Amino acid sequence: MSRTLATGNHVAGHALALAGEANRNSRGCCAGAYPITPQTEIIEYLSGFSFTKGRVVLVESEHSAMGVCMGAALAGARTFTASSSNGLAYMTENVFAAGYYRLPTVMIAVNRTLGPPWNIWVDQGDSLIMRDAAWLQFYCGSHQDLQDTVLLAFRVAEDHRVMLPVIVAMDGFVTSHTQMVVDLPEQDQVDEFLPPCVIPHGLKHDHPATFGGLTWPSETEHHRYEIQQSMEAVIPVLEQARDEFEDIFGRRPAGALETFETDDAETIVIACNTMARTLHNVVIERRKKGEKIGMIRTKLFRPFPRKELLAAIGTAKRVAVLDRNHSPGSGGIFWLEIAATLRQCPDVLLQDYLVGLGGGDVTPENINAIIDDLNHRTTASDPEWKDTTA
Amino acid sequence: MMELTICGRGGQGGVTLAKIIASAYFLKGKYVQAFGLYAAERSGAPLQAFVRVDDEEITNHNQIQHPDHIVVLDRTLIVPGMDAILKPGGTIIVNLPKDRNDDLKHFSGRTVSIIDATTIAVANGLGTRTVPIVNTTMAGSIAKVLNLTLADMLAALEYLNFTTPNKICVTEAFEQVQTHHVEGDIHKPTVSVDPIKVADIFDEDLGGMPKIKTGSWATEKPERRQLTPPCNQICPAGNDVRGFVEAVGKQDFNLALSVLLETSPLPAVCGRVCPGPCMESCNRSEFDEPVNVREIERSAAELGTRPEPTRSWREAAIAVVGSGPAGLSAAYQLARLGYAVTMYEADEELGGVLRTGIPAYRLPPKILDEEIDYILRHDVSVRVGCQLQRKDILRLSQDYQAVFVATGLQTVSELDLGDKGSPAPMQGLQFLEVVRTGGMRLDGQRVIVIGGGNTAMDAARSALRIGADTVRVVYRRTRSEMPAIDEEIEQALEEGIILDELVSPVRLSESGKHHLLSCQRMVLGPADASGRPRPMEDISPDAHFDLSCDLVILALGQSHDVSILPEGAVIKEGEALLGLSGAPFYVGGDFATDEGTVSAAIGCGVRAAKHIHRALSGEDLFPPPAEPVATSDVIKFNRFEPQARESVNTLNPATRQCSFEEVHLGFQAGPNGAGAVTEALRCFSCGVCNQCDRCLEYCPEGILRQDCEDGGYVFDLEYCKGCGVCMTACPRAAIYMTGL
Repeated sequence: MSRTLATGNHVAGHALALAGEANRNSRGCCAGAYPITPQTEIIEYLSGFSFTKGRVVLVESEHSAMGVCMGAALAGARTFTASSSNGLAYMTENVFAAGYYRLPTVMIAVNRTLGPPWNIWVDQGDSLIMRDAAWLQFYCGSHQDLQDTVLLAFRVAEDHRVMLPVIVAMDGFVTSHTQMVVDLPEQDQVDEFLPPCVIPHGLKHDHPATFGGLTWPSETEHHRYEIQQSMEAVIPVLEQARDEFEDIFGRRPAGALETFETDDAETIVIACNTMARTLHNVVIERRKKGEKIGMIRTKLFRPFPRKELLAAIGTAKRVAVLDRNHSPGSGGIFWLEIAATLRQCPDVLLQDYLVGLGGGDVTPENINAIIDDLNHRTTASDPEWKDTTA
Repeated sequence: MMELTICGRGGQGGVTLAKIIASAYFLKGKYVQAFGLYAAERSGAPLQAFVRVDDEEITNHNQIQHPDHIVVLDRTLIVPGMDAILKPGGTIIVNLPKDRNDDLKHFSGRTVSIIDATTIAVANGLGTRTVPIVNTTMAGSIAKVLNLTLADMLAALEYLNFTTPNKICVTEAFEQVQTHHVEGDIHKPTVSVDPIKVADIFDEDLGGMPKIKTGSWATEKPERRQLTPPCNQICPAGNDVRGFVEAVGKQDFNLALSVLLETSPLPAVCGRVCPGPCMESCNRSEFDEPVNVREIERSAAELGTRPEPTRSWREAAIAVVGSGPAGLSAAYQLARLGYAVTMYEADEELGGVLRTGIPAYRLPPKILDEEIDYILRHDVSVRVGCQLQRKDILRLSQDYQAVFVATGLQTVSELDLGDKGSPAPMQGLQFLEVVRTGGMRLDGQRVIVIGGGNTAMDAARSALRIGADTVRVVYRRTRSEMPAIDEEIEQALEEGIILDELVSPVRLSESGKHHLLSCQRMVLGPADASGRPRPMEDISPDAHFDLSCDLVILALGQSHDVSILPEGAVIKEGEALLGLSGAPFYVGGDFATDEGTVSAAIGCGVRAAKHIHRALSGEDLFPPPAEPVATSDVIKFNRFEPQARESVNTLNPATRQCSFEEVHLGFQAGPNGAGAVTEALRCFSCGVCNQCDRCLEYCPEGILRQDCEDGGYVFDLEYCKGCGVCMTACPRAAIYMTGL
């Protein structure tokens, strides 16, 4: 373990590289990669890494990058890639294919606003396109959380009870380009944590097979049902992985959710990524003034941890959701999930706030204003737009 | 928590400075955060970077609103009121040249630390004078202000693998930074000021130009230049081809004609008979088709108005012997220079080979007469019917202050086609002269022309027009080696002329009432001294054959008759012949060179006039060495749209066979030269700015404006960042970037 100063991209690239190297005694590793701001440094890091058994395949587009990952995964390699924004949108068809092929690829999504208009800053709209693509989705807060989650992602994805690909998302620039203090693991620790990757339905020379052929409705339905079953297995598998992670690395990474001061909270604010960390400071300040307030950082988005969320909300009366994403014609995408989860709690006032879209800088003042608004409400309204520049 | 904001510019290393400061604290066991505010960046754009330092883990991820310290990397970033965002007691660290202390007035009531980081960085070779990289130097002063030790900051540079000069800068800045308290009250901001937004950076009074003079960010600057267009470079007459074509494109036929008349008094002639080397060298031929310069020249001569001729004002009188294109050109130029010129011509009419050697269907005599008339109106007097001998020439050199001899080629080449008593072939030039004066018909006869030059074509086509039944042209090589203008060959074939390629005449004999030309078939061998393939006899058994005919015309070229010059005189253009009396004595035209075109003769006349003028007056009118040629590789073809040549009218072949009417009829589109204008607009204007405005439109900074004087462009280097977009945008290589 070495403590260092590193950017989010450096942290993610390092974690991917160590995970890929950890499969060197099996079928090795492979990354199909195409650069796009703000993810490019991850590709640069991987391209500069000397893999014992494995390689980075530079391709002409994101669509092909995922194609490379799928082919290599079917051949038994540990596979990974990274993308952002419109590049991710271009990759989408093959992202769905990887999910439905059930190939345990890990992708870093450095969240960036989809254009047009052109914008390079953070907004979760890009990775949330993949909501229905049969991929797990983790959203990371600190650099340490990012580092640890990348390793957890391989462990959960390749578990035969799950066998699904994983997106690990971070905030463009706010995380990807910010230097922070982080503890990076050693190769032997990662080797211990990640067993060799085994793809049970992969290509085998003595057992030729066709992939993706025509199926009848009932067979397709069964395929979807199996995926749902696997999604439901994710949280127990994740819990087990966290335990083993703690044994090896000496710290316990966050699981599906991270809660703070929720036990007796009457007001709870739910946020994601680095915005949740700024919120954390606000909650500390307001608690000092006697306010019964808590917060939840939603880390696992797919599968959505309904049970865990309900337990965390407990008896709170007011819940605010801060969404740095927007589904036009509806509202915040996390809010939709949370509203569906709270359908059996009619007494909770649930209010959505769209904040920091297109990379707006969300300050403690912005968050305080939202909490003040929430506390004065008697009823919930449609999602509120909060301009961070005001 | 300590929070610090860096205000810098893209390229100054502001984000790296944040990392350096964070590293210094990280190495002391602190929690740190360092990040830049990224945007659609380019070198020199204002940017911000931030550093947070704390004893506990840092969880805030928003930008720093109220820093403890503001670091300013460039004094041009100082904005009044920027200190308003500081926390109470906050300080400023600024890179300030020694003579700029007046800038401190913006920070009244504040503690400000000053360091001349630019001087230190440049002295240690970090960056360039125009773009110094000051980040490590600033790190040294920041260490002092933040109560870090010099060792702390040097450790950070070591951790980040910086080179020794950077460490020297840190040390110098640590020692030199000075902290002042600025007198006065802290400015109360009327509006909140965010240093990155620098809201009033654009000044409406300056048409939206930034107030900050950004020219200092540049490492290169654009400059206009003028290259030589290939057409101008190759034109034997020395015409400004591009210039007159541009004028026609602007529908200014008078200007176009006056550009032509600078170098040539015969634009209507050249617009008909010039082989057009300019068109062969035209860069457009590599894109689609060359610009039809010859036809544009003809239109300019036709539609432009000639300026009023000048009268002679000099004492010196000059004799010009021979009134072909070289003589006419020299006489015209000398007359324009103010000399009284007398032309001597052996024939009864002026024009030389233009009149006797070019048939009327190519050059109507009326056109030639008009141009000669214009020349004569410049105080040029004429003696026709003067066949001068050597003694006459010597007398001229006594009577005139200078003499120019351009008597052309008077000796024709012969071909031995058999014994004495064989029927004599007729010489091409002699034939053309007989035809011109109306003294011959060839009704029903079969004619063979031997040769491949323009005289051969002219003789063949003239024979057809005076009634010949069949006309064959016999040539030793193939069509592609023929010296004649290709268009003339094409038109001859259209008219029904038969071309016998790879045929060499051997013997001409009588055969009853007719003649018999015995011929030998040839094949092409390796290249000879002229660069053309050498014709060699075909050795196959059927390589001999006979052609029956009534008349054979020889058109094998001519040579000069030097008997009029003193014996032993070396004929060389531009060198005054010695051995005569004191008067400068020059020769030119085909008489002196073997270029054989009207335009070459015109150019020779121009040069002769300049030689004579220099000898008589001491004034040198020769142009300075030409700029390099704008070759096709510097022209950006992708900036142009393909556009076919404008159509031209020609007389239909059936009419031509029995008429000496002019074959070329000019551009189809009209009236008023519309076709010429459209064709002229096809010109790329290679290497010469034609105010297409592309640089103006593409300049991302809007720092170009059009010059009122010459219509070209002026770069405002106060604001030009040297990006080079103008150079890339220019389709014709008239802008280049040069180092500062």
